[in-house]
Amino acid sequence: MLGCARLAALQQLEYRFNLIADTMIQPFIVGLVEITLWVAFFASTGRAELVGFSRESYLAYALWAAFISRVSTSWMYESMMIEDVESGNVNAVLVRPISFFEYYLGQLMGYKVLTTAISLMAPIAICLFLDLPVDMTRLPVALALVFYYLILVHLISMVIASLGFFFTRIHHLTVAKNITLWMLTGEFFPLDIAPEPLKSILIALPFSSAVFRPVGYMTGRVSLASIGEGFVSITIGIVIVGVVATYLWNAGRKRYSGTGA
Amino acid sequence: MTANIETKDLTRTYETYMKAQGLLKSIEGLWARKTELKIAVHPTTLRIDKGQIVGLVGSNGAGKTTLLKLLSGLIHPSSGSAQVLGYEPTSRKPEFLKKISILLGQKNQLWWDLPPADSYDLLARIYEIDRTKARERVRELSELLQCTQQLQTQLRRLSLGERMKMEIIGSLLHQPEVLFLDEPTIGLDIIAQTTIREFLAKYVHERNPTVILTSHYMDDISLLADRLLLMSQGRIVYDGSVKEFTGRQEARQTLSLKILNPPAHNTNIANQFTLEAGALAVKQDLPAHAIGDVLQALMQVSPIQEIKIEEVEFEDVIRSFMEQDARLRTPGRSPTT
Repeated sequence: MLGCARLAALQQLEYRFNLIADTMIQPFIVGLVEITLWVAFFASTGRAELVGFSRESYLAYALWAAFISRVSTSWMYESMMIEDVESGNVNAVLVRPISFFEYYLGQLMGYKVLTTAISLMAPIAICLFLDLPVDMTRLPVALALVFYYLILVHLISMVIASLGFFFTRIHHLTVAKNITLWMLTGEFFPLDIAPEPLKSILIALPFSSAVFRPVGYMTGRVSLASIGEGFVSITIGIVIVGVVATYLWNAGRKRYSGTGA
Repeated sequence: MTANIETKDLTRTYETYMKAQGLLKSIEGLWARKTELKIAVHPTTLRIDKGQIVGLVGSNGAGKTTLLKLLSGLIHPSSGSAQVLGYEPTSRKPEFLKKISILLGQKNQLWWDLPPADSYDLLARIYEIDRTKARERVRELSELLQCTQQLQTQLRRLSLGERMKMEIIGSLLHQPEVLFLDEPTIGLDIIAQTTIREFLAKYVHERNPTVILTSHYMDDISLLADRLLLMSQGRIVYDGSVKEFTGRQEARQTLSLKILNPPAHNTNIANQFTLEAGALAVKQDLPAHAIGDVLQALMQVSPIQEIKIEEVEFEDVIRSFMEQDARLRTPGRSPTT
């Protein structure tokens, strides 16, 4: 798997302009857009706080949510996996002693480690510039939770890619899934401002570990215990989605016709 | 002799959606779709011994690639069974996958963005080959294929021929015992074809792997293969040596000649063909035994200016066999007609 991680890093480093756009320009712009939205919200309502948290706390949340959500999504590798199944390029993996899951998980992790390390500069710089309330010592634990969550994300990608064996074209499913996760992860808004019982349900789901729990931990909205609960909830998610992914992959492989070669 | 590949009634069918024409039918297809079953490989029983080089030949859609994919474990059979090196291919056991290789001539299996040298490093990790040994092997193979200079160039920047050489190195890096080569020389210029053909001939001679080779270029088959499998409409219609196959066909030769005086009207030549009025040149495939009679008949029509007699191409022999086979399979015709 380390070899696959190295492969992803080599591929990213091959196209330097694309890498800079991905790791520096994009997070900087996304961070500014999110902050602008929340500044506009507070300015228009005339409030200084919302559900017990200050304006600065929301700005810090918005900034780091934008950054962490980029780490915890895998639309690029998911698209590549779908494309591989649809086009028959999956053959190149199937004939080698490595699993499709391992091959792409290694690449996903390699890509995320490289791009996260570089793109961290953007939110840190904005945070320092605006003097936002963020405990940077909590960043390693928050990132550990996000990287663990990536295994679940990758399994969801396996489920969607496996559907490619049955339905031929399934790209739009990725878009639908991403929009759903946008709300479930806490990227769109902090989950603790949702009304009960929706709030408890949303936080209990493993998807809250993608953005809400790690960013909430860094910005003081949630405790370390919540991070522990996040690990447990992700583990349950990995088991459930893992079973579904394995079943669909094996069933799909039986139908597979080795398209395009 | 040990069998490296064995199949018993190996069959593969595909269910395909029958796309109806037009917008209304397409809308109807959202809830009601008609499907049809297509048999890509009819029940096939086969035994290939260790070290055999088998040429698998047939027209497009004959089932060659499907058979290779079944044997390499890429796809599952609909029924029947296959054993390759004692393993069931679809189980994809790592120890099995480390002993086989499949090269699909129309698909890149190396990484497009990377120089082949980086791809080989990754393959060495995947196949658990010592890095130094792998690099030494890459050096040896690239020298034989005359492509050492391109090892550090990104795959996307290489020509088709260079890419194919790199793919071959990638597929041989782990020294597979069974090698499936699907159209390894397709689309290549004559020089690249010759280099690859000669390399493969040398490689199989020295390393003695079991090989199944499909190709549209009969030179590949006649130079490399010691056994020929001919597929037509998902069935193996011939299984024997290349030599026997060509011997089984009626010996034919191509007669090309120019005459000085064209005939004034259509003329029958020794009951073999009609020489059209005004024709100055003739090119005709003929049974070898009829060449003498044809020449004699032609000399009565006109003095001959130039004459050339050639062996019919192996490809033409196969085509003739396939046409004959298709005729025999035409519904309503008895095999004896």
